[in-house]
Amino acid sequence: MAADLTTSLHVSASGMDVQSSRIRIIAENLANQNTTGPNPGAEAYRRRTISFQNRMDRALGVETVRVRKVDRDKSEQPLRHEPGNPAANKDGYVKTPNVNSFIELMDMRDAEHAYSANLNVASTTRSMLNRTIDLLK
Amino acid sequence: MNPVSMDVFTAAERRLAWTSERQAVLARNIANVDTPGFQAMDARDFRQALAGSTGVQPARTMVNHLAGTIDPGLANRPSRQIAARTADKNEVRMEDQLMKVADTETIHSTVTAIYKKYMTMFGIALGKSA
Repeated sequence: MAADLTTSLHVSASGMDVQSSRIRIIAENLANQNTTGPNPGAEAYRRRTISFQNRMDRALGVETVRVRKVDRDKSEQPLRHEPGNPAANKDGYVKTPNVNSFIELMDMRDAEHAYSANLNVASTTRSMLNRTIDLLK
Repeated sequence: MNPVSMDVFTAAERRLAWTSERQAVLARNIANVDTPGFQAMDARDFRQALAGSTGVQPARTMVNHLAGTIDPGLANRPSRQIAARTADKNEVRMEDQLMKVADTETIHSTVTAIYKKYMTMFGIALGKSA
């Protein structure tokens, strides 16, 4: 029975873990939203995406969540006319990152909410465990 | 087991076991709030759990037979809510799940309080100062 409660703690921890990886990816995207390529005509920074998957944890005998894949956003990179830029092609256009800061910020909010929900469950579980232990007093 | 003849300790123990099982299920739902295609689950009704309608397990006629990997107590059912469907086919509604977590915690604290009170009554009967 107490094993169930400790398992819930582990599951919530896995939830917080994936959400923090998500925040990390968002931070990378936002930090690189102006990163252009190193030489003329080169690709700019490609937005990274992250997806999750539930996985059976054999040691715990319960399904936790983990990061399935960190991928690159394959959408087209917008061109900007900037002949002075070292990454400009022969026509003077520079490929800019396909990062949309609004999307990233919305994603960040979402990740924050999911993280705090997991945290809430973990603290509730902890107080339940404590109360069960208090029965001994 | 007949609920009427069940003593408080057994009933409380069952209820506590049920709440922690449910908590594990809900934690799993909330952890998977962003997993595509994930379906939310809920623990069985406590009445069903109390009636002893546990899951079926294959009989082991030889010692070499492997035990089932699924705990019969954890026969959880998916809670169907088509309205909660989103583009990634995830069926976890966060508000719903958090309400259930709060509910489970309330039940847990009620049961532990009853258990404690009962223990205190034993203490009084045994002549200890509570």
